[in-house]
Amino acid sequence: MLGFVIQRLLQAFVVMAAMSVIVFVGVYAIGNPVEIIIPPEATDEIRAEVIRKLGLDLPLWQQYFIFVTNLVQGDFGRSYIYNVPVLELIAGRLPATLELVLISIISATVFGVTLGIYAGYRPNSIISKAIMAISVLGFSVPSFWVGLILILTFAVNMGVLPAGGRGEVVNFLGVQWSFLTIDGLSHILLPALNLAFFKLAMMIRLARAGTREIMLTDTIKFARAAGISEGRILRRHLMKLISVPIITVFGLELGSTLAFAVVTETIFSWPGIGKLIIDSITVLDRPVMVAYLILTALLFVLINLTVDLVFALIDPRIRAGAA
Amino acid sequence: MKVKSLIASMAVAIGVTLSTGVATAQTLTMGVRGGPESLDPHFSALGSHAEAAKHMYDTLVWSGDDLQIEAGLATSWKPLDDTTWEFKLREGVKFHDGSDFDAEDVKFSIERIPAVSGPTTTTIYVRRVADVEIIDPHTVHIKTNGPAATLPYDFVRLFIVSADAAKDYSTPETAAEGFNGGPAAVGTGPYKLVSWEPKGDLVLERFDDYWRGKGPWEKVIRKEIPNDSSRLAALKAGQVDVINYVSSIDYLALQRDASVDAVVGDSVYIMNLQLDQRDDTPKVRAKDGSKLDKNPLQDPKVREAIDLAIDRETMVQIVLEGLGKPANQMMPPGFFGSSEKIPAREHDAAKAKALLAEAGYPDGFQIDLYCTSDRLPGDGAICQGLGQMFSQVGIKTNVNAVSKTVYFPAQSRLEYSVFMNGWGTLTGEASYTLGALAHSKNPEVKLGAFNRVAYKNDRVDELMQKGAMTLDADKRRALYEEAMELTMADRVYIPVVQLQTVWAAKAGKLSFQPRFDEDTLAFFIKPKN
Amino acid sequence: MSDTQSPLYRFWREFRENKLAVLALVVVVIMIVLAVFAPYIVPQNPYDLETLSLLDARRGPGFIGSGGYVHYLGTDPQGRDLLSAIFYGLRISIMIGLAAGCIALVLGTAVGIFAAYAGGRTETFLMRVVDLQLSFPAILLALVLVALLGQGKFQLISALVAAQYAYFARTAYGAAKGERKKDYVEAALATPLSGFQVAYRHLLPNCMPPLIVVATVQIASAISLEATLSFLGLGLPVTEPSLGMLISNGFPYMMSGRYWISVYPGVALIILIVAINIVGDQIRDQFNPRLRK
Repeated sequence: MLGFVIQRLLQAFVVMAAMSVIVFVGVYAIGNPVEIIIPPEATDEIRAEVIRKLGLDLPLWQQYFIFVTNLVQGDFGRSYIYNVPVLELIAGRLPATLELVLISIISATVFGVTLGIYAGYRPNSIISKAIMAISVLGFSVPSFWVGLILILTFAVNMGVLPAGGRGEVVNFLGVQWSFLTIDGLSHILLPALNLAFFKLAMMIRLARAGTREIMLTDTIKFARAAGISEGRILRRHLMKLISVPIITVFGLELGSTLAFAVVTETIFSWPGIGKLIIDSITVLDRPVMVAYLILTALLFVLINLTVDLVFALIDPRIRAGAA
Repeated sequence: MKVKSLIASMAVAIGVTLSTGVATAQTLTMGVRGGPESLDPHFSALGSHAEAAKHMYDTLVWSGDDLQIEAGLATSWKPLDDTTWEFKLREGVKFHDGSDFDAEDVKFSIERIPAVSGPTTTTIYVRRVADVEIIDPHTVHIKTNGPAATLPYDFVRLFIVSADAAKDYSTPETAAEGFNGGPAAVGTGPYKLVSWEPKGDLVLERFDDYWRGKGPWEKVIRKEIPNDSSRLAALKAGQVDVINYVSSIDYLALQRDASVDAVVGDSVYIMNLQLDQRDDTPKVRAKDGSKLDKNPLQDPKVREAIDLAIDRETMVQIVLEGLGKPANQMMPPGFFGSSEKIPAREHDAAKAKALLAEAGYPDGFQIDLYCTSDRLPGDGAICQGLGQMFSQVGIKTNVNAVSKTVYFPAQSRLEYSVFMNGWGTLTGEASYTLGALAHSKNPEVKLGAFNRVAYKNDRVDELMQKGAMTLDADKRRALYEEAMELTMADRVYIPVVQLQTVWAAKAGKLSFQPRFDEDTLAFFIKPKN
Repeated sequence: MSDTQSPLYRFWREFRENKLAVLALVVVVIMIVLAVFAPYIVPQNPYDLETLSLLDARRGPGFIGSGGYVHYLGTDPQGRDLLSAIFYGLRISIMIGLAAGCIALVLGTAVGIFAAYAGGRTETFLMRVVDLQLSFPAILLALVLVALLGQGKFQLISALVAAQYAYFARTAYGAAKGERKKDYVEAALATPLSGFQVAYRHLLPNCMPPLIVVATVQIASAISLEATLSFLGLGLPVTEPSLGMLISNGFPYMMSGRYWISVYPGVALIILIVAINIVGDQIRDQFNPRLRK
């Protein structure tokens, strides 16, 4: 087991090292940020001075070396645009994204699983067909389009909900949250709905597929033959069997929803990290871009690692196979 | 039915909460597109940064509504000799912490800039300064490297910070900490800092001892809402009192909206088409894609044809939906150095075709037109409109409206032949614009830094160099006017339209004067009674 | 009779039992036909600047423009006939979706089968890379790649392929791995046939059904991704608008009541994607042996 853990940790480390090189070189390749951020009156001398200050006059490998040296000390550098440490900037935006993502994914899971089980349990009822129609829509319709329609309907035509922004925030546990105020809630409603829609469709499909398969298994057949009530079958057997894949997917989706928030945050001007990365791309704020990508990669590597290790604990065959 | 009533009750609930968010009478809440990048005024030269800084700090020289220079913290200035300017400082000015403003603070601020400036560098404001000499507490002599006729214009964004408060916060590492909510953010401006969140709200309170007098608002909240639609929605919902940069798209609808007042102001930005003059230019071909013997853009007839192909009236009325003006030179009328002798530009497609035929291109040729699509309002749409107009006189045009992150690096690598971008004469005088664009590129005299079309007119070069040394304002103005006339006649730079900017406020609540530099300044926004 | 029927026919007989899926298939076919023959159907070539007139810009549905014909769906901010622009947009969207989907299919299948066939360290390495990529959302990967590669059709397709091949690789690998262990493959490997031939003749056909399912989903998702990227301003050039770009161009006008610029292309996009997904769903159900009794 220890060997397996070490092997996986090592892999994760190699992946992160490779990612840091790829990200750094990639961002370097996009273009010279100085051309965009320097004011037009700048003489060539001033330009050279700015380039020197940012360390962009050094060869690429040297820039990378400096970057990594700082990185291992937990320093991602300073934003070119805000002159504050990048980590501070990202940490400041994180609560906004987190609350949006958590509200979306939790509501998507609760509603999606309920509807999905129903649709799988009674696959031929009208309601099930309606549920599946919703899920096909949710799965197909691009998220940005849903966002536009939500804005058009609720903000423009009906004028009942704000079209964007985060609204009033309150300080709780030293962090600014908006879901604790009514104004904040009214702001979070549309983006959360937007973000949840796609995930809802996925959860419905997952729960429905799981339910259909499980309902056809021998366990359920025997349980029914033994005269156990349907309600009990659903509660005892179905929920138990279906919860494992759903929890796994919930974990995996948490990461992908964080990434997908980029689109929703852009449409609704939600001041989270997704908006930050899009803004940083448009001004080539390199340190922010690099830090965002590396942290995202790290997040996914950690999720993968956890999933691997948890599965290894549950299923000894995997351990044997990998050894 | 149930669903409907649910939505209706939701609407009521939310309507109530929105109205509780409305600010009280003595507070002005502004919804602005961009904000400061730091509260250190010397960090960035960006317009939105300076705009925010003007609430808390004063500049040595004040730039008026029409960018005319006026007394600021300096009451008067005059050149003593070729390389010395004398500035007399205002007496009795207090900093927010109660201390007095004097020459020490000016010297400190100027000398601090190179150390703490970020990449959007404010070093440009002091690039001509060689040394600052304190004569007495209210007189400074500024030594320049070479004659600097336009020095006072450089100082319109030279913010003065308190030497005592900021002396420990003047390295790149400490500046952000000292100013962003720290002890160093002390100025002489009309408002004092309460709190600031990057990309969020800047909260200010009135400074009662302000030298211009008390501001009209006890409290000012400057909210950053970058998205145009969201900003307008916030105004309509009553979350903010005034917003800047209403898009032309929304402006049309706003004119019919009685609950909102819209104020239109001219912008300093003019869209200029630029035509590469190199012998071998990359993005011009024959219509069949083959290489041409020579660069047709070098031919004055071709350039005139391109100019004549542009229908500026349609551009303004249709593309910008009325929010702009046809431009005939690279600066708005009335700026120092813009000429009244330059005629309005005509539109004549038939004549354009004839000129192309005369120049030896009866069937036209093919160009790739490049422009930004995300920098200024309407830039991408104007560019596509130009594409249509050129195509209709026989110049097949492939329009590439690209992100500014692609455009500017490529433009600086001289990869384009025909390209368009906005240029704002932010100082209000011609050396800023003609010096950077119309003078041939010459690092030795520090001119022509943005001349990316290899334009060279010896007379223009001579006039610009002479102007930089001419301390007499009237003589200098005449030199710049001639340079502008010559440059415009050459049609290497072809101005297309001047943009306009729109502010919007709740109907009947506020009165203010639009500013050419597009600043939204709380001190000058007055409640309407 | 049924013995003489080809598997394809049997498949179709089952397929047509689902009326919705048949309808969706018809819609997909119609849209492909419209896209292919767009130049012969629509009144205007929306990419030819000479035929556009700014004077026709932003007119509502039913407007008769300078061309003398009715703009049934109105015009966009450049005076393009929206109906024409939508059909041409369909062309671009379908072409990008198909190109990205097919290249990803070939590339992913090759990687998956090669990994299953090669075994050992190569297998572990390849599949680790694939798994890692799968855990990374396609939208983010595509976003970053487009930012790196720049704008243009080729760059966009590359980004989409890079974001999507892993799904095919995973699927092909799973199917091929199952077959690889079977006796007939072992036997075939013992013959003088080359490894490549064995993979081509035996492994590949057995991977096809699940790959087809993944392909339909991925083509729909490529179309949707392209639209999303264009919407974020990272897609194709503005002068040859895809559906996503049309929606994006019209978005600002939504607030001022000129909904048609954004809404109609959006409707076209959604009909296309929903139809493909319904067809894909039905195929998946038919291929899923666990749902059969």
